[in-house]
Amino acid sequence: MLVSKNKDINLLLSSEQSSLLRFLSLYAVLAIMILLLLGIFYYKSQEELMFSNKRIELSNYANEQVKELKLLHHYFPSRTEYPRSYNFNSAIYDIEQVEIFSTLKNSDVNFDKEIYRSGDKIHFVKYLDDYYLGAKYLFLEVDEDKKWYTQTITNIMILGILTLIIMAIFGLIFVNILLRPMKNSIRLLDDFIKDTTHELNTPISAILANVEMMDTDVMIEKNKKKLHRINIAAKTVSHLYQDLTFLTLNHNQQSNNEWIDLKSLFEDRVEYFTILAGSKKVTFYLDLNYSAIHMDLIKITRVIDNLISNAIKYNKRSGAITIVLRKEYFVVKDSGIGIESSKVSAIFERYSRFNSSEGGFGIGLNIVKSIIDEYGLKISVKSVLGEGTDIRVDFLKASIGKGDKK
Amino acid sequence: MMKKIIIIGLILNAMLYAEGNRKNVVKKNIYERTCLPCHRYLPSSLGDMYMRYLKTFSGEATFKASLKAFLKEPLEQTSVMSDLFIDRFSVKDKSLLNDKQLDEAINIYWDLYNVRNKLK
Repeated sequence: MLVSKNKDINLLLSSEQSSLLRFLSLYAVLAIMILLLLGIFYYKSQEELMFSNKRIELSNYANEQVKELKLLHHYFPSRTEYPRSYNFNSAIYDIEQVEIFSTLKNSDVNFDKEIYRSGDKIHFVKYLDDYYLGAKYLFLEVDEDKKWYTQTITNIMILGILTLIIMAIFGLIFVNILLRPMKNSIRLLDDFIKDTTHELNTPISAILANVEMMDTDVMIEKNKKKLHRINIAAKTVSHLYQDLTFLTLNHNQQSNNEWIDLKSLFEDRVEYFTILAGSKKVTFYLDLNYSAIHMDLIKITRVIDNLISNAIKYNKRSGAITIVLRKEYFVVKDSGIGIESSKVSAIFERYSRFNSSEGGFGIGLNIVKSIIDEYGLKISVKSVLGEGTDIRVDFLKASIGKGDKK
Repeated sequence: MMKKIIIIGLILNAMLYAEGNRKNVVKKNIYERTCLPCHRYLPSSLGDMYMRYLKTFSGEATFKASLKAFLKEPLEQTSVMSDLFIDRFSVKDKSLLNDKQLDEAINIYWDLYNVRNKLK
């Protein structure tokens, strides 16, 4: 089931995947923001609850302290000892907010709040009506009981994680609902291609075999030309058949890697495409050095075939295709119509075609990219509109053979 | 001879005594010269009055400004003393000191009874 899901996801185009990622990111950010806000509200309400409990206790202490200050004021200066308590520390400030006397451990006081946290202490302010000893503000300080804090943070974490899990489940459900029509349309297209491919095999094989077997020596020139055209058409369909077969059947099969002589392979594939290229009077120019790569033969053949096929398809009449092979890379260069720079990044997407006048399903370069990615190779495209396209494939050092021919 | 010595000694003693008295007069500040002489005869001490002012006005600047205003324009309504006290001794007369002298006297008074220095 997991494999099936991954396959579904792989079916999506990169633009659709990025839209999906954007949606998921937005959903995640919104979910986290809502959770953060709820957490802050919950924390504040718990803090307020703690303050309201403390307020009663501290208000009683403050009344006792005021009585003591009143007595001290009355007997001052014969008595000068500031009243102290084991339950709290205190300080008095005058109307100009200047300290008169303080036993506070944390002297960071706030005159605008009745009760507040200051470090690990709680401060409570009582505003005096009679300014005993000149005091307008009486501050009381007690140690903060951290139990409520630990309990609140624990609750926030547990509830937050639970809510996040629930929201993630809902998110997945939403994504599935969102993707369903997209997946259906892609699956429909794939199923159609799979069925068509299956039906193509027998007639193409029959056409190609019969064309090869026909004795051209006894034919008149007019029929030879017709047979030549039949051969080209059959090979084009055969190439398409190979791509579709790879896409629907071979792609998910295990690779059968072996050392492949790329120079021989290029020569072989160029010969195969010569008739097709000849139909557009396209000339091949080969600059091939020896190079070997450790890959699946079918897959590297699909890469080369598709690059050459595209170079023919999108070339001008009487154009040229130059193939350069070096130990660590190869380049397929055409003198064709080129690609707009804004569209270069999208050429590897499935079902994307750049010239509706040309045939095809737009799957060739998608196959190339999937094989390149599978083997960790690097593909780069350089194109100038109206001048042609260079496609370069760089090999991994680990996958290339020794310089000498085996 | 003995007489001369005694007379000279008495003269010197008298001169030293006179010098000491002169120094004592110079030592007295404006608060001691202008406030204490009258308040000495009142039942409520200047310390008690300070505590009354402090209980009413709280901060140093407010205290000093209020006291100065009262000394320049003494009124029953602005006095911090009880009605009984005012009935008995009435409100004081306007101070004859100028602003600078009043400020100086009030500053001495504030420093003398300031609770901040005495609380422990």
